[in-house]
Amino acid sequence: MTEAKQPKASPKKKPKLNLNRVEMPKQSEHERRHNFDEVALGYSWELAKEEASRCIQCKKRPCQQGCPVNIDIPDFIAALQREDIEEAAKVLKKKTSLPGVCGRVCPQELQCENACTLNKKGAPVAIGRLERFIADWERTQGSATMPDMAPSTGKKVAVVGSGPSGLTVASDLAILGHQVVLFEALHVAGGVLMYGIPQFRLPKEIVQREVRYVQSLGVDLRLNTVIGINYSLDELLNGEFHAVYLAPGAGLPKFMRVPGENLNMVYSANEFLTRTNLMKAYLYPEYATPLKMGKRVAVIGGGNVAMDAARCSVRLGAQEVYVIYRRTRAEMPARLEEVENAEEEGIQFHFLCNPTGFLSDGRNNVAAMELIRMRLTEPDESGRRRPVPIPGSEYIMDVDTVVVSLGTSPNPLIPSTTPDLEVSRWGTVVVDERGRTSKARVWAGGDIVSGGATVISAMGEGRRAAAAMHEFLSNGQKKIIPPSPSKDGES
Amino acid sequence: MYPIVDHEVLAPRVHRLRVQAPVVAEKAKPGQFVILIIDEKGERVPFTISDWDRDAGTVDFVFIEVGKTTRQLAALQPGDELLSFIGPLGRPAEVDHYGHVVTVLSGYGIAATVPIIRALKEQGNTVTTIVQAPDRERLFGQKPLEELSDQLILALGTRGDGMMESTTVAVRKLLDAHPRKRIDRVVAMCSLCLMRVLSEMTRPLGIKTMVHLTPVMVDGTGMCGACRLSVGGTNRFACVHGPEFDGHEVDGWEVLMARRCTYADESILQQGFQCRGCSQW
Repeated sequence: MTEAKQPKASPKKKPKLNLNRVEMPKQSEHERRHNFDEVALGYSWELAKEEASRCIQCKKRPCQQGCPVNIDIPDFIAALQREDIEEAAKVLKKKTSLPGVCGRVCPQELQCENACTLNKKGAPVAIGRLERFIADWERTQGSATMPDMAPSTGKKVAVVGSGPSGLTVASDLAILGHQVVLFEALHVAGGVLMYGIPQFRLPKEIVQREVRYVQSLGVDLRLNTVIGINYSLDELLNGEFHAVYLAPGAGLPKFMRVPGENLNMVYSANEFLTRTNLMKAYLYPEYATPLKMGKRVAVIGGGNVAMDAARCSVRLGAQEVYVIYRRTRAEMPARLEEVENAEEEGIQFHFLCNPTGFLSDGRNNVAAMELIRMRLTEPDESGRRRPVPIPGSEYIMDVDTVVVSLGTSPNPLIPSTTPDLEVSRWGTVVVDERGRTSKARVWAGGDIVSGGATVISAMGEGRRAAAAMHEFLSNGQKKIIPPSPSKDGES
Repeated sequence: MYPIVDHEVLAPRVHRLRVQAPVVAEKAKPGQFVILIIDEKGERVPFTISDWDRDAGTVDFVFIEVGKTTRQLAALQPGDELLSFIGPLGRPAEVDHYGHVVTVLSGYGIAATVPIIRALKEQGNTVTTIVQAPDRERLFGQKPLEELSDQLILALGTRGDGMMESTTVAVRKLLDAHPRKRIDRVVAMCSLCLMRVLSEMTRPLGIKTMVHLTPVMVDGTGMCGACRLSVGGTNRFACVHGPEFDGHEVDGWEVLMARRCTYADESILQQGFQCRGCSQW
């Protein structure tokens, strides 16, 4: 209530509240419609210093509590205020191995920045932009700050999936002295950071650099290996591994089950984004993977993935891009910043409508879609306003490409080959609050548990599970631990 | 990296590659496939496994040169390496004791069905194999089929040689003899058109007909949804629910066929494929 006043008393050099949040330079909308380069250009040192100086270093540290991985935010900002960027990087790296990623794709407005004391005045410190600045600065320095590594425990852990959750667990456990093998089904590590989030929002070089950092902690990355196929979960547990963390990520894309949904040029967002980002279809034919694109693209859905697909479509040469969402702007799950970016790039939003079918051009290519207008009901007991169709309000819209972005259902590969792993009726793996599954020595996190959430929440689940796994590995079977701190010579 | 250890040209534009991939060989079963990437700029392309050797840690597959990636593959020699080689993907082919099984093969299926036929024989089935090829010159892989099958029928596009002119004629003859000479199951790994026709031919007789479908795939592990198709009124994904499906339950043939045309000019899937609107029938 009065925190804003309290800190004023102690650090006397602090001037009065500065409510001028420093904007981050961006590529102009006109320019960025035609390239896959990063849209947000990041702070210069001058801008970062200015923004960092706005932090009042309040005692309560609400920002840190707002962070799913509990980064010591006031401390890294204080380091910036002292102009010690290296120290700032060190503080960051204590709690995240992926600062370049988090600084770009976390929904800070719902987390740290939402909690920031200055947010009461509507101008929270731009924590995400500062995090990004530090990560990018470190990248230009050549060598990364290394954390203090615990001596080897002699315990071996398998982490399944190298997305944000798996990378977090792998680095946490490696730092704690465990030997980690990180399995990845695809040919590159990073999971959704590589196949899902586009280059212009999260450059792939940054992801790969953070993957290499995790490897430099001693994590053994094994690409092209599908758990559930090449090794069953039981084979891992009965073999060399003391514990397993499951983070295999999103599975089969959801569709609407309306007529014509399998016509040509109707894509799932996963296929559309995988071709574009992971396989670099935007550089076809230099890269061999093509992506057929029309001129009038409809993206169905209102989440961040839908925004990514719509914004990729613009860059791939679509003339008109529509986002079709059955509720209103206020209910859209996408980050406001992404919606604004999309609007600046000329994407048109159609609210309160829902596709009821797709029409063929006579050769099984999509030529149009039929929609029905929706209205929101009065709030029900849960306070939620449901969208319901307005009878007789059907209409037709001409489109030649459709991207269905309605989420995914969990990948069945591991549950179907692990009968004693409890799953919900939606197919997600059931865990306790620290990520422990029904199966002994197995923890899980990320989309396989949540059914689909953010990068940072997947990292948060990883952080909690890693702590629980470390406890288990430290307490159980003490006899196996060799006393000598023999390994970890690498950097 | 995955080294090529052997490369054999089986017929004009038809190649067999043997790849060192012990992790894949270890779990391979009949009817499964791999996804490979040649190099950093390559695409992910599925190929059905035609043989494997667990002791040597090798996996074989047969392909036909039809597009950019397969032409690139055709130029690889022992010692060259593939960037990525993931598998065995998909569910294995169903194999049990059925009685008399008719297999219908063309293209890469001529080689990729061999492990299925071998497994069918191990289960004590009688196997009649029909192989379709455009002509004798482009026929390959006859020998293992001869050895394994109780009867081998060659269906070549040209008359003469005492061979059947078309696969459908050969199949029709067998079906006409049913149920006197009973057919318990049909397994087809051939062109999409032919698998569709076969499914329609066997439907009235109630002979279970398994077809091997290879729609366009990208990740191949149940993530991207490119390979979806409608089976029995619901969406199925060939990479995790297939690639073997009951041909009588497939209800999206037109769309499946049209989907292959999407990348007809770029993709590896078409063998000299020209869209003649066949998806319209």
